[in-house]
Amino acid sequence: MQTSLFVLSTVLKVLLFPTYHSTDFEVHRNWLAITHSLPISQWYLEKTSEWTLDYPPFFAWFEKLMSIFAAYVDPKIVQVDNLNYDTLATIYFQRTTVIISELVLFWALQRMLKVMGNRPLQKIINWSLMLNPGLLMVDNMHFQYNGFLYGILVHSLVDAKQGKLLRSGILFAALLNFKHIYLYIAPSYFAFLLRAYCFENSGNSIRARSWISAFRPLNFLALGVSVIAVFAASLGPFIALNQLPQLAGRLFPFKRGLTHSYWAANFWALYSFADRIMIVLVSKTPLGQYFNLTLDESALSATTRGLVGDTAFGVLPAVTAQHTLILTVLLQIPSLISVFRKPTFDRFIGSVVLSAFASFLAGWHVHEKAILLCTVTMSVAIANQIGASPNSGVNAGAFSTSDQKGSSPLTPQDVRAFMIVSLAGYIGLWPLFFTRPETPIKVLITAIWFVAIGSGLDQCVPKQPKSAETTTMAGHSSSFTNRSMLRYFSLLERLYVFGCIPVQIYVNIVHEAVFGQDKLAFLPLMMTSVYAAVGVVYGWLLYSGTYFSSNKALDKKKTR
Amino acid sequence: MAPTTMRAKASKAKSTTAGAGSSGSNAAYKTTITTTSTSTTNSSMSTTAITPEAPKLKNLAVYRYATWLEENQLKKTAIWISVAAAVLVRWIVGLGPYSGQGTPPRFGDYEAQRHWMELTIHKPIREWYSDRSKWWDLDYPPLTAYVSWLCGFVGDKINPEWFAWETSRGYESKDAKLFMRSTVLFLELAIYISSIVVFTQRWFAHKPWTRQHTAVILVLMQPGVILIDSGHFQYNTVMLGLVVWAVNFFLADQDVLGSVAFCLALGFKQMALYFSPAVFAYLLGKSFRQGFIGCIWKLIKLGLAVMVTLGLLFSPWMQSQEEILQVIHRIFPVFRGLYQDKVANIWCAVNIVIKLRERFDIQSLVRFSTLATLLSFLPSLIHLVIKPTKRGLIYGLINSSLSFFLLSFQVHEKSILLPALPITLLILDEPAIGSLFNIVATFSMFPLLKQEDLTTQYYLLLGLWIWMTTGTFKNVSSLLKFLSTLNLLVIVTLHLGEMLVAPPARYPDLYAVLNSLWSAAGFVLYWVYFNYRQFTMVNTPKMGFRISTKTSKAYKLA
Repeated sequence: MQTSLFVLSTVLKVLLFPTYHSTDFEVHRNWLAITHSLPISQWYLEKTSEWTLDYPPFFAWFEKLMSIFAAYVDPKIVQVDNLNYDTLATIYFQRTTVIISELVLFWALQRMLKVMGNRPLQKIINWSLMLNPGLLMVDNMHFQYNGFLYGILVHSLVDAKQGKLLRSGILFAALLNFKHIYLYIAPSYFAFLLRAYCFENSGNSIRARSWISAFRPLNFLALGVSVIAVFAASLGPFIALNQLPQLAGRLFPFKRGLTHSYWAANFWALYSFADRIMIVLVSKTPLGQYFNLTLDESALSATTRGLVGDTAFGVLPAVTAQHTLILTVLLQIPSLISVFRKPTFDRFIGSVVLSAFASFLAGWHVHEKAILLCTVTMSVAIANQIGASPNSGVNAGAFSTSDQKGSSPLTPQDVRAFMIVSLAGYIGLWPLFFTRPETPIKVLITAIWFVAIGSGLDQCVPKQPKSAETTTMAGHSSSFTNRSMLRYFSLLERLYVFGCIPVQIYVNIVHEAVFGQDKLAFLPLMMTSVYAAVGVVYGWLLYSGTYFSSNKALDKKKTR
Repeated sequence: MAPTTMRAKASKAKSTTAGAGSSGSNAAYKTTITTTSTSTTNSSMSTTAITPEAPKLKNLAVYRYATWLEENQLKKTAIWISVAAAVLVRWIVGLGPYSGQGTPPRFGDYEAQRHWMELTIHKPIREWYSDRSKWWDLDYPPLTAYVSWLCGFVGDKINPEWFAWETSRGYESKDAKLFMRSTVLFLELAIYISSIVVFTQRWFAHKPWTRQHTAVILVLMQPGVILIDSGHFQYNTVMLGLVVWAVNFFLADQDVLGSVAFCLALGFKQMALYFSPAVFAYLLGKSFRQGFIGCIWKLIKLGLAVMVTLGLLFSPWMQSQEEILQVIHRIFPVFRGLYQDKVANIWCAVNIVIKLRERFDIQSLVRFSTLATLLSFLPSLIHLVIKPTKRGLIYGLINSSLSFFLLSFQVHEKSILLPALPITLLILDEPAIGSLFNIVATFSMFPLLKQEDLTTQYYLLLGLWIWMTTGTFKNVSSLLKFLSTLNLLVIVTLHLGEMLVAPPARYPDLYAVLNSLWSAAGFVLYWVYFNYRQFTMVNTPKMGFRISTKTSKAYKLA
């Protein structure tokens, strides 16, 4: 099974070599050149190319490692002034490095199977992550190294599940020094490790007085020292060179706008959309005068609305970086508290998901690719649960929680939230590929993934004991239940899923046929973003609902 | 428990068909059934699949996947996923270069097909075959022309530049390529892929779903077809799909519809003639079994169907003898020579020793090769007339197309796709043999694919095929094991040699020649093997396509 996964994913990824690659390809080629040809002191100063090095130092070292081989393949790859060099050999080489680096993810998934259980549910998640349309699109077509980085994240999460908290913390600290986007989920890690590793952890909440006696200074010291050591290894040289402010300036370019090139499917997409609606309402109808709203004329004259980052709002109040930060933190706090109160892995992984969501939904200058952070962590959260093994038909209701300590059964809500967020998020990635030959590829890999994983997860939801009784009474268990893929989905959710089809037909085909390539170019992008944002926000609400209600239920069970 | 009920149902279905269908009761068949029922009772608690041959298939990853799907009740969506995956792979392969991309002045097959679209939408129908613009004459039968017209018509609406008269010669653009690729894929989906799905449903009608699904996936991932149609650029799958539709109809005893479908295949690409002896013999043999009146009536029906179909296809050029002769002259260009480039058939192999083309004139070569072809498919033809079974039909298709490929006049290396089709259809009946054949067939097309820079796609798809079917070699005779290992060694050696060592200046085509020699040797062996198989297979009376001898027996021979 795992060999098949390995072979198939590799073949597919190599087949994808000739697909469109974005400017990120040149970005990484340039970084290969910078790290290979320049001394460390120049890494974060070099700006021959507009694609300056803006990942943390570990990633730069990773590039340096690859550049050794790159120089063998073609010395021209590693020349700093050799801009936009994309010969066939370069493409093959760089795409190969992505595939090889993604073996880290494959390895992590093998460990996940071992630790979380090797049942249909876990296998499905395994396949879903290794052949993930999001990763395929972003890594193997668009060109990035996310598979590798998410591999490290999954390793870290699996360590946490195993109770190897120190290793988990170190891995996560290292991951932060590969790509700082993982700061999005750092609060959850912080809360969990602090509470679970640095305090007595019997799985129960600690009474107010015993906090001090529960503190374990040695663990605290160990964790603190190792995390600081990781950061020192990464940032040390640059501190020594007195380049820390320069580094920080590169990593956190706050000059960029609220939204990335096109809107990521988050709150701000909805907010911007609302603003567009308001502009029309205010300028075309008397409503504006009635509510005493005024138009910001300068925002209207911005011709690049919906396309380029610097979003100015016409009617609604402007949003600053501080606002987004406050909102993000506010959204993260509830789940952090819940982890801090009772640091089980279940709660931890849930709060990681919710932190990722909070940052994605409310963050400043969020990339659409960051949705992977939500979907990957959600996948791990689902793999952590207990699925029914469908071939044990009748016994499905009588699952026991004993074989997986602390894990809860997979609920239909989890599946629905996961599928809707993934679908919306991956469709939100589609505008990355505006070239026509890639359109069928992005559509097909997303559709195949949705149908395959959707129907697979659907079979893994344990039947409620009640329904199991009725089916045994009816005599035949499998033929009785309606095994349609979306059976758990409510009407609205089904509408949303099927609604993607006409919307995307319009976006990909009809719009260009009617308006041509340039006219109203923002409209299809806006439609995709807003439609996707609705799905992501809905999925987030659904997931939060199950997270907090299941926590409550578990609490009640314990107290009883 | 769900699987048990299904198993019970399956075995019930089996026993009813057996009860209804055996006047001449076949001992081997009965044993199959009894073993089935015992295995059903034994395995009611386990999750093993039903048929006695099943354990062998378990070595196939695809089969294990299908079993997993069945156990997890995912059969419903499975076929959509497989078809979508097949389409995805074809489309991705299509991102690669096509035949003659960026190689003026003549370009390649892609330009030929594009030009036909240009020609058919701009010229009146009666001039299609007599157009003398010295640019890729239309030399395929009328159905190709009609399909070209349809594609051209749609393309013209999208962008008139693609198919503008004369000015579009050698026109190349990303969008034009995209359009052309999508026409191939669309036609393939509508005709070929659908036919394969229906075929497997019929062929494995009384077998577990897992086998059917395994077969669908394997047939759809056959590397040769993908590489030639979606990579090199041709519309072979339209013709192949129509042939499979004909077979589907024959399997359902809809012989008239089958003949119509077969005539359409002929009308799309004359190469379908490779199959015609088998189809002819099968229908003739079947008619003979209907009694005197029934035979005459059946022959009249079939003859009418053939004549009407071909007549309609050729009707625009039927008005004068000259015109129809012009069409036929275009379609069968005997003047082109004995074979093209390097092709893995007997003539090309013999030519290394005896320079045939220099020694003999074309007329005698045509006669001689035709006679040789005729002789080589005659045995299987006669057998099929005497025993027109459905399984025999497939073997007949293999034998006649292999004979044509090896011995007929004017053969392309791509023509190996024709014998490969029926052999791949039997992929679960002759798994190791079918897998090996496809490996050799794909390998034999390597020089062509190399010319077009499709080597990455070639290595990947061939590698994937070898990996997917490698499980079939586990339980085979040591001879076959030896042959398949030897074959892989030779292929790997030749590929490595070509990569690392330049051929000597005296023999620049060394690797291509070695390739065609090795493949030709393999195809000759296959011709012997499949003729033997056609004569030795045992058929149960009612279900012509059920194999009752243990497949292992067949392997021993190899």
